[in-house]
Amino acid sequence: MSPTDPPAIEVDRVSKWFGPTRALDDVSFAVAKGQSRALLGRNGAGKSTLVSLITGIARPDTGELRIVGEPLHGQDDRIGCVYQRSSLIPAFTAAENVLIKHYPRRRGGLIHWRELRERARGLLDEWTIGDLADEPVERLQPMHKKIVEICRALVSDPEVLILDEPTAGLDKSDTARLFALLERLRERGTTVLYISHHLEDVFRVCDSVTVLRDARHVLTAGIGDVTMAQLVEAIVGEQPPSAVTRPPRASEAPVVLSVRDVRVDDRVGPVDLELRAGECIGIAGLEGCGKATLARALVGLEPRSGEVVVDGREVEPGDVPEALRAGIGYVPEDRHVDGMVSVLDVSENSTMALAPRIGRRPLGFLPRLSRRADLDRAYAELARQWRIVASSPRQLISELSGGNQQKCVMARAFATDPRLLVLVNPTAGVDVSAKASILASLSSALDRGAGVLVFSEDADDFALCDRILIMIRGSVVAVLDEEWTEADLVAAMQGEAA
Amino acid sequence: MIATPTTESPPRVLTRVRGVLKPSMLGQLAALPAIVIAVLVGSQLNRAFLTVDNIMTNVLAASAVLGVLTVAAALIIIAGHFDMSTQSVVAFAPVLSVWLVMPAAAGGSGVELDPVLGLLLIFVLGAVVGAINGFLVAGLKLNAFIVTLAMLILLQGMTLGIGGGETLSNLPEVFTYLGSARWLGIPAEVVVAVAVFVAAGLFMRYTVTGRQIYAIGGNPDAARASGIRVERITFWLFVASGVLAALAGLLMTARIASVTASQGNNILFTVFAAAVIGGIDLRGGRGRIVGVATGVLLLALVQNILLVSQIPSFWVNAIYGAIILLALMTGALAQGSWLTRFRRSPHAPQPAPDRSGDDR
Repeated sequence: MSPTDPPAIEVDRVSKWFGPTRALDDVSFAVAKGQSRALLGRNGAGKSTLVSLITGIARPDTGELRIVGEPLHGQDDRIGCVYQRSSLIPAFTAAENVLIKHYPRRRGGLIHWRELRERARGLLDEWTIGDLADEPVERLQPMHKKIVEICRALVSDPEVLILDEPTAGLDKSDTARLFALLERLRERGTTVLYISHHLEDVFRVCDSVTVLRDARHVLTAGIGDVTMAQLVEAIVGEQPPSAVTRPPRASEAPVVLSVRDVRVDDRVGPVDLELRAGECIGIAGLEGCGKATLARALVGLEPRSGEVVVDGREVEPGDVPEALRAGIGYVPEDRHVDGMVSVLDVSENSTMALAPRIGRRPLGFLPRLSRRADLDRAYAELARQWRIVASSPRQLISELSGGNQQKCVMARAFATDPRLLVLVNPTAGVDVSAKASILASLSSALDRGAGVLVFSEDADDFALCDRILIMIRGSVVAVLDEEWTEADLVAAMQGEAA
Repeated sequence: MIATPTTESPPRVLTRVRGVLKPSMLGQLAALPAIVIAVLVGSQLNRAFLTVDNIMTNVLAASAVLGVLTVAAALIIIAGHFDMSTQSVVAFAPVLSVWLVMPAAAGGSGVELDPVLGLLLIFVLGAVVGAINGFLVAGLKLNAFIVTLAMLILLQGMTLGIGGGETLSNLPEVFTYLGSARWLGIPAEVVVAVAVFVAAGLFMRYTVTGRQIYAIGGNPDAARASGIRVERITFWLFVASGVLAALAGLLMTARIASVTASQGNNILFTVFAAAVIGGIDLRGGRGRIVGVATGVLLLALVQNILLVSQIPSFWVNAIYGAIILLALMTGALAQGSWLTRFRRSPHAPQPAPDRSGDDR
């Protein structure tokens, strides 16, 4: 390649605003032809905005994107993208999915199925899965589905291939096999933009990195010129050490949770831990490490093996009502999926777990009636405690801000005064003040003698934790139990000893 | 991999056979064994059952309306929607057309529209109803089930209002032709219905638009991401459904040589039963037109057997319902969906990679 060749992709002084929020601020970098470039940054640093600009879903407010020297306008065949979320048609065969944008046709315009199968088989064969061409993709393993998506993205022979977290949901051996296959991209001379939270992976498959932080470009370097520590620092920036605000717990407090040899299929485990009253343990790991799966298994939403004892009572796997009766309060990973009923009002949402207790039995034996007046009274108390801001108890929860929604979900989990709180991403998508009040309520629950498990990857969520277990690909690999900084945490989640 | 011809030839035949009889197809054609049983039972009950004439006129021709409507329903269901209004179009389109054609003395409007224009009008009315449904569903994003249910009630009411509940007979020949004509000795209705099946089957299998309809029903987000014009295709699907319903209305009018506001009433349940027995997945994205044909054929055979058997007429519907339930259960068994449903623990999500643990 001569030095005058235009780069495969050039991001030139690009800025993008979403309303008052600056998503990208004057970002410039270029990737030479045939390079594998990692694009790194925390959630919200601007990576996904940049991807949506490159794939043509959105347009930059100022600046320009160029592909091999030519400006990019809208969606373009010169860009291929493999999204983190599967975009395959489940009932179609692998072959049809690969050629879904390029059906081979006969002269009359009808689909030429034999040619479709043969062409797709050839493409899939390059990635060693030609024999799966006629299988519906819903029956394929996660890694094979990923390969089908990669093949589909490569059909139009793009100049640039974007891989967005391609290893999410894959186990260790599949990840290794996928990396071996990704070597083929290098042989083909395809330029790759690789987005990942796993720095370890980046060092294995990329030859250069670009780091974004707070919407700005902070670093571009060859992979040999940076260390893991330098990358972590570029990603998180300067952070003060976390202030440990609570004195260490007395070790004589009763055990509220003991977990022994818990496994979920081969995705998680074995996990062992012991949590005492008034103690807070964090479980930190990147997306896909299995921490949310572990949390779901503890409350019975996921089948598991091993022993879970809550407050001296053994909990059967897969039995949610039993787990809740044993004294678990649960705040799920994504409130929109299983945290709240968006068509119900704030009062009903917050008191859902309380309803059976405050309902009255008419004549002593009829089914409990839950009266709105009782629920609203209970809600008023919760709203005061949690500072939930709603126009009335009857306002729909979907009309509230994210912070107030999360407070309702938290209030419900805390309302029954549980012995054990299992919180997943407790402050995801909430503003700073809501974050502070959620942490304050957490602190008072600890003072009342509850045990708390916090599952998250956000350093702020661990402010109250006595120790943090680090989870990587389904197993606990390290413990942070002294003073730590965000950089320590991020490095630990990458598998680097702090 | 390259194999020598000698070792290759026998397995090749086998892979061919396996290619045709894929397990996914067993579910589609689950009605086939039931059809065989129905034919055996029918021929035992009545010697006249297994004659060309009975099969042609009393089984196939009698189920032409059901067949055309089931194709319409299948297309919409594959795309992930429902169209309940087709049943009302079966009455509405012919009643309004005939009313405009017939003189006032014969119960018509007195406009005395040209009969050929009246014939065309039936299809135009079907297309208009479909376009309204399509606009409400694809354009305004309203729920198809409720939209088309409301349309069903509206059109049934309008049909009753127009005709005043009267039956109009002595229709011009263009309206009744298909009911009595035979082409090459085959009832014209059968030819029309088979043509609809073949055209729909080829369309869904061999055109890009047909495949895109499956994609829309199977994963709308992915369909949109691969550049499919989801709204436009959905709109035209509802138009097609309306036109097919109008065709079904014409077939029914031709068959009974009259129009009445109640024609087509209650056929909707049979339509959905035939579609599901034929392997159409109500969640969208799955099912084949070949399967639909077997579903329709099975129900047509059962209906005919119940007619020729000595079962008291008051009990026919109950038995018909029971047989539909049975067919649905065997279909589910053949697809193996029972096993997987019971094996999975109630709360565990399917181990799909896009919902694995922490992924959001």
